[in-house]
Amino acid sequence: MEQHIHPEPKAFIWKYVFSIDHKVIAKQFLWTGLMFLALGGTLAMMIRWQWAYPKTAVPVVGALFLSHTGGAITPPTYTSIFTMHGLIMIFWAITPILIGAFGNFCIPLMIGARDMAFPKLNMYSYWMFFASSVLVILSFTSQLGAASAGWTTYPPLSTNVGAPGWGQTYMALAIFATGVSTIMGGINYIVTVIRYRAPGMTWFRLPLTIWGMWLTAILNVLFVPVLGSAALLLSLDRLAGTHFFVAGAAVGIQGGDPMLFQHLFWIFGHPEVYILILPVWGIVGDILSFFSRKPAFWYKGSVFAMIAVTVLSAVVYGHHMYQTGMAPLLGLGFEMLTLAISVPAVVLFVNWLNTIWKGSLRLEVPMLFALGMVFVFGAGGLTGLLLGTISTDIYLHDTMYVVGHFHLTMAAASFLGSFSALYFWFPKMYGKQMDQNLGKVHFWGSVVFITLVFGGQLVAGYSGQHRRLFEPYQYTYIRHLAPLNRWTSFAAFALGATQLIFVVNFIKSILMGKKAEQNPWHVSTLEWTHCASPPIYHNFDIVPTVVRGAHEYADPAVKKKFGRDYLDQVEPGLSAVDEDSSAGMPEPEAIGAE
Amino acid sequence: MGDVVELRPRAREDFTSVIGMMIALGAWAMMFGALFFMYAGMRSHALMWPPPGVPRLPIGLPALNTAVLLASSGAFSLGLRSLRKGERRALSAWLAAAAALGTTFLALQVVVWRDVWASGLQPSTGAYGSVFYGLTALHAVHVAAGILVILLVLVRSLLGKYTEHNVMPVRLPGMFWHFVDAVWVLMFVSLYLL
Ligand SMILES: [Cu+2]
Repeated sequence: MEQHIHPEPKAFIWKYVFSIDHKVIAKQFLWTGLMFLALGGTLAMMIRWQWAYPKTAVPVVGALFLSHTGGAITPPTYTSIFTMHGLIMIFWAITPILIGAFGNFCIPLMIGARDMAFPKLNMYSYWMFFASSVLVILSFTSQLGAASAGWTTYPPLSTNVGAPGWGQTYMALAIFATGVSTIMGGINYIVTVIRYRAPGMTWFRLPLTIWGMWLTAILNVLFVPVLGSAALLLSLDRLAGTHFFVAGAAVGIQGGDPMLFQHLFWIFGHPEVYILILPVWGIVGDILSFFSRKPAFWYKGSVFAMIAVTVLSAVVYGHHMYQTGMAPLLGLGFEMLTLAISVPAVVLFVNWLNTIWKGSLRLEVPMLFALGMVFVFGAGGLTGLLLGTISTDIYLHDTMYVVGHFHLTMAAASFLGSFSALYFWFPKMYGKQMDQNLGKVHFWGSVVFITLVFGGQLVAGYSGQHRRLFEPYQYTYIRHLAPLNRWTSFAAFALGATQLIFVVNFIKSILMGKKAEQNPWHVSTLEWTHCASPPIYHNFDIVPTVVRGAHEYADPAVKKKFGRDYLDQVEPGLSAVDEDSSAGMPEPEAIGAE
Repeated sequence: MGDVVELRPRAREDFTSVIGMMIALGAWAMMFGALFFMYAGMRSHALMWPPPGVPRLPIGLPALNTAVLLASSGAFSLGLRSLRKGERRALSAWLAAAAALGTTFLALQVVVWRDVWASGLQPSTGAYGSVFYGLTALHAVHVAAGILVILLVLVRSLLGKYTEHNVMPVRLPGMFWHFVDAVWVLMFVSLYLL
């Protein structure tokens, strides 16, 4: 349905600060997210330093922020560091980059809308996120240190007894605030896709990216409120003296129940891992097709697999709580549902492999990152089977193996997926080209060192090293793992250093990159075929009428008639007679994407 | 309004906002749902509920208060119906009534809190007090926000901003207000009666 065209604002403040333009809001999320990615990454380096050289002065960062201990990390600082690393990476780095930036940027452009359904709500969503960012920074400045109860914020660690001071309170409030922001964004995404698809853009003509974003938005709107509730109750416990999660001697027999927090947290927490990966699956599904110059293999299968994962993700949270004395029958149910997720996950995986199978692969930077994501996600998914199974989880629970596993899926896969998206849409966002060679170095460094870092963690965990230990080597049974940990740390430092290449490339390209063409990748979706680089304020002067899906590649008849190997989503295409000649295509079932 | 209307552009835009509001209320319902989940978990683990030695909650005043809030919701509905018929003065009157009844609810809620507090039940009395004060307070925050929104709508109504062709800015706050009301009914039943 046609949206009216808002007049473009002229004043700086309305154009760049309190903008209602989804493209500007996307950039705001991107920049804020990248800043927090750098911050969260620095914290990760500090953890790795502690595990490589326990209790010695941290170079550079130590001199700047830990001068009171001569640069070394103390146990309370250490708990704050890994807590803030986890929370920041999940809620203030990946979420804004993947969902805030690319959800905002891609949804209207790819479905043929002029903006989000509720542009003002979109602006509030960013500024709510910004407010939550301020709370995060405040947490660092608080007297008794930043939050320190782990990213899961379990009571009793996160109560006033376990984590006194404002650091933890600020983070509980920050989680609530960023949750509100996410929900506002989610409402916008859901409604925009339902109501503002261009004429002819049927559900099964949507690019996979949009499906991923849309399903993620649904999970966000359903489950982030549960986290909000948990954060709110925790804040009441900390500020108003209630005893929802406080038990034991402090309150007597009528105390609350810390286990309830775990339930609320994981009812949200499990969907959250799919919230962070569904957009990546969608983006990668599209990019593999675009850069293999082939239709996405079994498009509908991928869509239904993503829907199946979305539904299943709501009913498996108990696999995080096998160790909490859960009734064995209940555990068994959660185990079976958890392992059932493998089925749609494998459908997606096989579809990706079939998409690139015999394609004319163009190994440009976005494609490399997409392939890297397929690789690390495969590794992460397989290692997850051992955690979904109760008998093996009992051994592996709370070891570094868990850390390696969820970093491969949530962190590495989301990270590589986000960068695939960033390199792919950068020319559209900024109208400039990025340096492809630097991009390739960034890719190879990232994927190799990611594998080494998180692979090293898997091995350490499998050998029995517990997670979150301040000084693991004080235990004799872990002592022999010190060299492994040190090498893992070296890989982590190399991974961190590799990101500097991206920083240089990103800034350099924005400032003095070569001007990008409208469709530099020669792909078929609306934002490339019908929008300038960067797009005009209202995206489309005339909203195009869509006639086919997003993956129309490799048709010899099209090549003969148009001299290129793809059809965009709008052009009339072949006449009925010519269309018959496409009957001899190698994957006729995949062409039925429409 | 059972009559079939043609989908004019305005009507389609209105429909978009209604979908948005419904999704927003769905999210809100999940938030309250999580609170009830927590409450149910707390109760199912307790040996006795209410725990021994904890003062009983009153029933009379909260029941009356439930009626007050339901009346407020009703007043809002009647206001919206008046606007649809083009009776703009009636809209303002009903909105004022809805806001007044909402405020009465809050005032009576404060009285209930004071009585309960005086009888010895406090937030720090443990799980029971936490649930009682926590749930009612979070709900009261929503009522207060709702009253502010209704007052805003009332001011705009007095300025003549709404016509029978432009009911959405009244209908959407109404949806929120009915939602807050429905949540209260669940709270009343589960906190005071069960
Ligand atoms: Cu899970």
